[in-house]
Amino acid sequence: MIPLVVLGAVIAVLVIASGLKDFGWTFWGFQYRFVPGEPEASSWGIGVFLVGTFLTAGLSLVLATLLSLALAISSVVYLPPLPGRLLSMVTNLLAGIPSVIYGIWGFVVLAPYFGMALEPSLKDVLGWLPGFGGPDSAIGPWGTLLAVFILTIMIIPLTTALMRESLRSVPRELVEAGLALGATRWEVVRRVRMRVARNGLWSAVLLGFGRALGESVAVAMVIGGTSIALPPSLYASSTTVASFIFSQLDSALLYPDLFILLVEFSLVLLGIAVVVNLVAQRFTRVELATATTLGGGG
Amino acid sequence: MTSSQATRPNDDLSGGTVRRKSSTMSKGAALGLGVLLLIVGIGAGYAITKYAMPNSTGGAKTTTISETGSSLIYPYLQVLSPAFTAVYPNIALSPASTGSGTGISSAEAGTVDMGGTDAYLIPSTATSHNLVNFPIAISSQLVVYNLPGISSHLNLNGSVLAMIYQGAITHWNDPLIQAANPGVTLPSNAIVPIHRADGSGDTFMFSSLCFLSWKGWGQNYGTTITWPVGPSATGNSGMVTLLGNTQYGVAYIGISYLTQINATAGLAYAALGDQNANVNGVVGSGGAGQQNYILPSAYTVSQDANLGLQNLQPPSVAISLILGGVPGATNLVLGAGGTLASSAYPSPYPDTNLEYLLISSSPASQSHMKDVVTFLEWALAYGGAYASKVSFLPLTAAVIGYDTQALEAVPISN
Repeated sequence: MIPLVVLGAVIAVLVIASGLKDFGWTFWGFQYRFVPGEPEASSWGIGVFLVGTFLTAGLSLVLATLLSLALAISSVVYLPPLPGRLLSMVTNLLAGIPSVIYGIWGFVVLAPYFGMALEPSLKDVLGWLPGFGGPDSAIGPWGTLLAVFILTIMIIPLTTALMRESLRSVPRELVEAGLALGATRWEVVRRVRMRVARNGLWSAVLLGFGRALGESVAVAMVIGGTSIALPPSLYASSTTVASFIFSQLDSALLYPDLFILLVEFSLVLLGIAVVVNLVAQRFTRVELATATTLGGGG
Repeated sequence: MTSSQATRPNDDLSGGTVRRKSSTMSKGAALGLGVLLLIVGIGAGYAITKYAMPNSTGGAKTTTISETGSSLIYPYLQVLSPAFTAVYPNIALSPASTGSGTGISSAEAGTVDMGGTDAYLIPSTATSHNLVNFPIAISSQLVVYNLPGISSHLNLNGSVLAMIYQGAITHWNDPLIQAANPGVTLPSNAIVPIHRADGSGDTFMFSSLCFLSWKGWGQNYGTTITWPVGPSATGNSGMVTLLGNTQYGVAYIGISYLTQINATAGLAYAALGDQNANVNGVVGSGGAGQQNYILPSAYTVSQDANLGLQNLQPPSVAISLILGGVPGATNLVLGAGGTLASSAYPSPYPDTNLEYLLISSSPASQSHMKDVVTFLEWALAYGGAYASKVSFLPLTAAVIGYDTQALEAVPISN
């Protein structure tokens, strides 16, 4: 009941603050241009921001899913109890690091490495893949790929913990039955554990996605922030709905139109987050509480 | 979370006794941690009451003056705070770094005593909210570039910069840039104009320079605009880093970052043209009068601040100091309604700005306002000595005269 009231109150405040001002159909388009004091010369498309959001969250989710699955399976099945527990502990520890610290790390330490070393070599090797080619000028210290990397590290603890719990909750009888029938450990993992736990695994993926969609501080620090066009490659600077709201909020207090736009952007983001979470909950009975305890702020 | 994990068996065979034991242990640990936190909390609270508020338990009562806003002003107030409190132990200064937009909106809402901002509040808005623009320091901005082989100061002017940032000039050896730099061999490479991704007073200054210097500028000016070309960076230090990594790039950076700029290989900053150097500007249209290119220095920046004030009759501080105060740029001096006097000051550095504190002209508590005014008067008299610590310049006599008058009009009582 209380969560419903809170959600309702948040939506009500956003609706009142924005007055649901109609920016016209171009709100859903790809043209964003803010000219201070000239609303008629401005255009207010959310498209570029949504693409940036789904691109960074989606790619980091693919990476995080693969890594988390590997981590979860090794600690549940393959590792002896002590190393397994240590691995869980270290992974959980990552969840406790405030997002701004990931941001600073990316901004200061990783950015030069990405811009000068990693991305040029990636382009040489994977240039034929869509997104990995593109103009040299798109390669800089900050950009989409760095944001994807930071987001991946940030959601791994959440997805790993949820996956571990799902894999563990598979009834022992099933596992033992599999082993008794002569299946290898890997076959039991693939055919029994993963199949029985698939709802929980999906839920982990979706909750990780929800977390990645909403991250603002760390992403704003490393993504570059270009908002006028879709990025020509994964190396290029882009932006997301959440990081854009974060970086423009102070200025928006000076420009009423921009403020209203940001509030409506946050309504859209909230809508997406609610849908993702509802779908995630349908998959499993994993308590949201677990996810939020782990997910932390940000 | 940790406790439930610790109780889980690893793979198949682990005993129930172990499970129970570890669960009890973590409950005990949690309880212990809770008690510990409680003790630390009480202790910290006691320490704060006893030591951080020296006069709270006896003697005169301490008042706290609150400020929020510009992240550029914040370090300056932090430097002023201990010096001021040493003289007035009963008044504490509490500044916060939030951003100019927050400074303005908090001052308008009356939730702080002073709202810090890099951009002046338009006089009509200030009047309707009973606020006064109170300049507290002078700052300026550098135009920095990364040109391999050129470490000298290039001459650049507002028109050329506006064209670069709009994509109308795309190469370093463009005739307009070459004309301003006779004898310099400019590279034929493409220019990479770098701008700020986050909202910023620096963007306000630089977009004002573009707006005033070239009539073809189509983005207006403000703390955040949409730049048609070029990559972006977050924060002034982000600008320095990105420019350091971007050959043939150009960027606008607050002068507070001069040390960082000098420490970055390959960077140099430009001398900026006065209004006569502009081509088809709102201010200055080229051809007429001596064209001057000015490097930022304490002298040239201060001259610009004086010129800005001199240019407006009656004097107003609600003015962009870009290009030495702006004849004809009526939308930048909205509501001032003054006429412009001719300039008595040569060589002003054009990319200069005042830093403001917004204060109330009809305070809710006149006795509390007295403490605010005490601080501002002290800052006018002694603050200038601390300005250089944050790369600001002390206010000039003309600005101090204006500020003093403004303070006299604020109603206070004991």
